[in-house]
Amino acid sequence: MNKKLLIGILATVSVFAVAFSACTSDDGPTDADLQNAQATTSAAQSALSAANARADAAEASADEAMKMADEAKMMADEAMMEETGGRLAQVQERGTLICASRNDVPGYGALDGSGRNVGFDIDLCRAVATAVLGDPEAIEIQYITAAERGPTIQSGEVDLLVRTVTWTTSRDAQWGNYAQTMFYDGQGFMVPADLGVTSAYELSGAAVCVTSGTTTELNMADFFRQNAMEYNPQVFEDTDIVLSSYESGACDVFTNDRSQLAALRTSLQNPADHVILPETISEEPLGPVVPHGDDQWFDIVKTVMSGLIYAEGYGINSGNVSAKASGDDVKAKRLLGTEGTIGQESLGLSETFMQDVINAVGNYGEIYDRNLGPDGIDLPREGGRNALWSDAPCSDCPKGGQIYAAPLR
Amino acid sequence: MQSILYPGGIPLWRNVVFIQWVVQIISAIVVIAIVSGFIFNVATEIQDREIPFGFNFLDDAAQIPIGESVIQYDPSQSYLYGFSVAALNTIKASVLGVIIATSLGIVIGVSRLSRNWLLSRLALVYIETFRNIPLLIQLLFWFLIILELPNVREGYILFDAFYLNNSGFYMPWTTPLSGFWPWAILSLIGLGGGILAFNFLAKREIVTGKPSYPIIVGFAIFIVVTIIGLFIFTPLELVVPERQEGPFGRLQGGARWSGSFFALLIGLVVYTSAFIAEIVRAGIQAVNRGQTEAARALGLHTNASLRWVIFPQALRVIIPPLISQYLNLTKNSSLAAAIGYPDLVSVSTTMTQIAPAISLIGMVMATYLAMSLFYSLVGNIYNRVTRYAGVG
Repeated sequence: MNKKLLIGILATVSVFAVAFSACTSDDGPTDADLQNAQATTSAAQSALSAANARADAAEASADEAMKMADEAKMMADEAMMEETGGRLAQVQERGTLICASRNDVPGYGALDGSGRNVGFDIDLCRAVATAVLGDPEAIEIQYITAAERGPTIQSGEVDLLVRTVTWTTSRDAQWGNYAQTMFYDGQGFMVPADLGVTSAYELSGAAVCVTSGTTTELNMADFFRQNAMEYNPQVFEDTDIVLSSYESGACDVFTNDRSQLAALRTSLQNPADHVILPETISEEPLGPVVPHGDDQWFDIVKTVMSGLIYAEGYGINSGNVSAKASGDDVKAKRLLGTEGTIGQESLGLSETFMQDVINAVGNYGEIYDRNLGPDGIDLPREGGRNALWSDAPCSDCPKGGQIYAAPLR
Repeated sequence: MQSILYPGGIPLWRNVVFIQWVVQIISAIVVIAIVSGFIFNVATEIQDREIPFGFNFLDDAAQIPIGESVIQYDPSQSYLYGFSVAALNTIKASVLGVIIATSLGIVIGVSRLSRNWLLSRLALVYIETFRNIPLLIQLLFWFLIILELPNVREGYILFDAFYLNNSGFYMPWTTPLSGFWPWAILSLIGLGGGILAFNFLAKREIVTGKPSYPIIVGFAIFIVVTIIGLFIFTPLELVVPERQEGPFGRLQGGARWSGSFFALLIGLVVYTSAFIAEIVRAGIQAVNRGQTEAARALGLHTNASLRWVIFPQALRVIIPPLISQYLNLTKNSSLAAAIGYPDLVSVSTTMTQIAPAISLIGMVMATYLAMSLFYSLVGNIYNRVTRYAGVG
């Protein structure tokens, strides 16, 4: 090959490389949505820097080149962190809170007659939206299947996962951070009444329907294995298909969290023909989950949940917020931001954000009653685990349960 | 290099070799940049978000339920084993689907060309209907139809051995005993003998012109040897499905073709056969009309001309798109998760609850890729065998 040709090729390549690096070192994207693209850019940048570093090292030692490459990578990472800011800033800039939830289980997440998202999980999403954006309607709900929950929250594409997610240690380690248990559930079994089954220990030989990607599925496997009972698992993605299979008798038993069984039983043709067996085979604490890696955002969600729970304890509800804000109950005033602090400043929230939240969605008890209680799917709260703790300060709220959160101070 | 236009030699920007080099290098850089961008993005995101990744989990107990399996499965077995069980379920659906869809597709494709007006219209309606409805909808449709069957306690029973209900189709099946392997080897020997006899007789038929029935004789040798083996070794035990005690009255023993599997198989076969029918029609129509006329001139009747003249030539056109339909069928079987058949995607989704999702998705992709490449390989080999001698 002649020399001229070779030099020409080399020159072109280097021009191209310079142009490439010039393109990639443009101003970082300001839109938070571009975070992923940015990661690619800075990765490419660091790759290029590493390449440059290696080229420079033609005279220097290989060690030095590696060091330079590492430094380039670190600088790129730092630059990225500074530019993007925390999730709070992203959400406020975007103007909506993206929640992953559902629309297929009455009481937790469903659509009402006018097509509006309603439910216990949806209200928790609205509460957080109100706290950070001041508007309970500033939410975007992504409907996901049970199996999609892990990848969805891991990727950080949603701000909050509230889709009847059971808190478990592996999920906490792998998926995201569990903010607060907002509902205590446990797994049960539903069977047609005419089979005459009265206990979960009589289920040997049954075909059991279950939704895939749930703790329910794993607990069921454990339960049958532990008790050396034969069974035939039938695993479906969608709750609707599970229900159809169960109702047609293709499977004899439907297993899920008890509260969801109760909720779904209402959508069967003859709810009275189906019984929920007495045994509870698992612990299922449900609550909102935030992506890993942003402590401020994690704390915000925890504080909002605490606020909802203590608001019920202090007797603050959507009807008396302004009265309580200017009243003489010191704790209520602290919660509502008119005296003292519950950490608003460090969280980057307005002093009175809880006033907006309670005005918009009510306290824990109101959310419960509206969705899961008498105005919803009618799960009893009195005497169960989902009542407030025994010495909660309120006078007429259900007590003796486990709904308890970090004190507001 | 002397040129009239450029007496000083061809300048760089007009040098074809140089331009080709530049274009190739630029394309290479672009491709490398994009691919490494993706990889770096995934790598940094995995690190930043502390997403777990790795393959150490494969030896741990899977602890997940799998509804049906070709080989024995128990939740205490490893992830790798559970993954293989799921892969076998996918392969089962894919292989059966490919065989049935091909047969059905050929019949419908030929019917489409039939001179019988009703038959050809029926084939047209079939093709246009099933080709144009999304597969997922079809799968749900078949599944919901199967759910309409009576349940396992009330379903149809034939001879106390065959059961049909909305949990599936149950029939007697065999389990291998100690004599299985000697019997299998004997049968293989019988198969070899049958093939030898077939080749010998087929050649004799061509040489002497006397009918020698190569197919019948060859097949008979295989069957007779196999049946004799059955009596010598008693390799198999017939197991008839039986109703279990207790309130559920499920059936145990024998073979079970579950409702989900049926729905999946019907859906895949019906959908894919519509495409295959069109491919077959195109292949047949691609054969020059003169070939039909020549066959007619030789005195071959319609069936014989189709069998010996048209179809062998059409195959060359049919095979490549046919392979791509097989690949589609295999990949489409991943929709099984929607109707509860424990295929690769469905089971690995369940596994991601504990095991790292990225690793599992990588494994699923690799498995589908391997299966597709296998079909391609087989198809390409067949394609090479059937092409015109002396071409290429």
